[in-house]
Amino acid sequence: MRTIKRSAVNNGQALEKAHLREHKKRAPAAGVKTSLLFWTMWLILPGIMILALAAFPSRAGAQDISEGEQLFTSKGCTACHTIGGGDLVGPDLAGVTTRTEKDWLSRWLKEPDKMLAEGDATATELFEKYNKVPMPNLGLTDSEVASLIAYFESLDSGGTTAPTSSAVTLPAGDADRGKAFFMGTTRFSKGGPACMACHSVAGIGALGGGNLGPDLTTSGYIVSETAFATFISAPITQTMSAVWKGTPLTEQEQADLYAFLSKASVAQREPSALTQIAMLSGGTAIVLIAFAQIWWRKRLAGVRRPMVERAHAKRGH
Amino acid sequence: MLDTVLFVAFPYVAVVLAIVVGVYRYFFDRYSFSSFSSQFLESRRLFWGSVPWHYGIVTILTIHLLAFLFPGAWGALTADPNRLYIIEVIGMAMALVAIVGIGLLLLRRSSDDRVRVVTTWADWALIAALFVQAILGFWVSFVYRWGSDWFLHTAVPWLYSLLIFQPKIEYVTALPAIVKWHHLWGFLIIALFPFTRLVHVLTFPITYLWRPIQVVIWNKGRPAQK
Repeated sequence: MRTIKRSAVNNGQALEKAHLREHKKRAPAAGVKTSLLFWTMWLILPGIMILALAAFPSRAGAQDISEGEQLFTSKGCTACHTIGGGDLVGPDLAGVTTRTEKDWLSRWLKEPDKMLAEGDATATELFEKYNKVPMPNLGLTDSEVASLIAYFESLDSGGTTAPTSSAVTLPAGDADRGKAFFMGTTRFSKGGPACMACHSVAGIGALGGGNLGPDLTTSGYIVSETAFATFISAPITQTMSAVWKGTPLTEQEQADLYAFLSKASVAQREPSALTQIAMLSGGTAIVLIAFAQIWWRKRLAGVRRPMVERAHAKRGH
Repeated sequence: MLDTVLFVAFPYVAVVLAIVVGVYRYFFDRYSFSSFSSQFLESRRLFWGSVPWHYGIVTILTIHLLAFLFPGAWGALTADPNRLYIIEVIGMAMALVAIVGIGLLLLRRSSDDRVRVVTTWADWALIAALFVQAILGFWVSFVYRWGSDWFLHTAVPWLYSLLIFQPKIEYVTALPAIVKWHHLWGFLIIALFPFTRLVHVLTFPITYLWRPIQVVIWNKGRPAQK
């Protein structure tokens, strides 16, 4: 009896498998029209992309000293560097062409991020010395790099005079106000985002600040009032620059933030809230799924199944 | 250059594809505007995959859309750190629910013979793309906190600049690679949309909410009232 039953089941399964195979062979691909269209469109797509490429030709400019001088300001080098005015966030660039190899310097200007990732000795040394603030990749072209180096060389040989830079003095700042700005409980007057969206710092909120940008607890950007004010009034890193271009901070806001951040840098660092966040969100997800299980436990019972069960039960009694 | 192609040309191509092919398909292949339900072939695992997936993803997409449409109100909402934390935790939990759901759906589709046989290559591409996007989204929100806040100042201005045909890609091109992948993968899904069963998002049975009530009458076999 058992053998017969099993073979019947096997037959049934084999039959279904064969049927499925046959179906697969015969069934036309779903939506033939649509899939034809798909291939045509995906062939056109690269064409459109090439056109888009052609529409944005790269600019090749002559490498010269005056272009370099202009780039030094327009590319925002001044946010972190002076020439002969002392260190800010980054080193003073006076004499940079005499203390470095030209090949090294031009690669450093072109792809500092790669050199840091590769662990270049000089790059790593600079990174450590300047409070672990990495030199950002400014997306310079080869000719822009050459122009900048030409400018630095002319400065070092005395052919050009360096721009004068002076220390910035901010008005007296209030750390509590700075903290409110940082956390977003007080909004910036020009409508800029709260720092906390992307940055964390010691001693705020249960789950800390954001992690898109660097932690500012011991940031090299906060080494001095001048360095901070110079950077924050015209940030050079690309995302900061895009975000703050239309919504600059007032001097008072800069002062308040500096007061808060320079105080935070000596505060005790809180442990990372990563585990807490994982447990909170994971726990909530489990509760939601368990709730669905309980709420809809009869959902799949359907109409037929209980009727069949009832019929069986009746017959049994 | 590459950034311009990826963050300007590609989004436009994706949206144009979605609209042009979507409209074409609507007029020339209208009966294909469907989710091609396989519930008839397998219903139990479908339920445990489909329900978490849809509740999760619809919540998450609504949040993305609301923040994009009302950045001012959303910014005010996330201004308080406690509200920000609550929103973030709810968002991450819903993302996990969605990932569990689509994971189960992917498993079901690849392990059930009956369902596999009615699955086209476009279905595989779509379900894999959605799975990847859900994982990328959770990754972004978990590692690069607090996305519900910085989203307003990076992705929103970029998308808005595309919308008014004055592309400004500097808002997004320097973001971490995973964040950029999440942006681009979103447009990949938009590009896949008109060629797949994803078109069923446009057939959402909204009228269900105000349809007349239906009275079900059992003539016989009704369980005895106690």
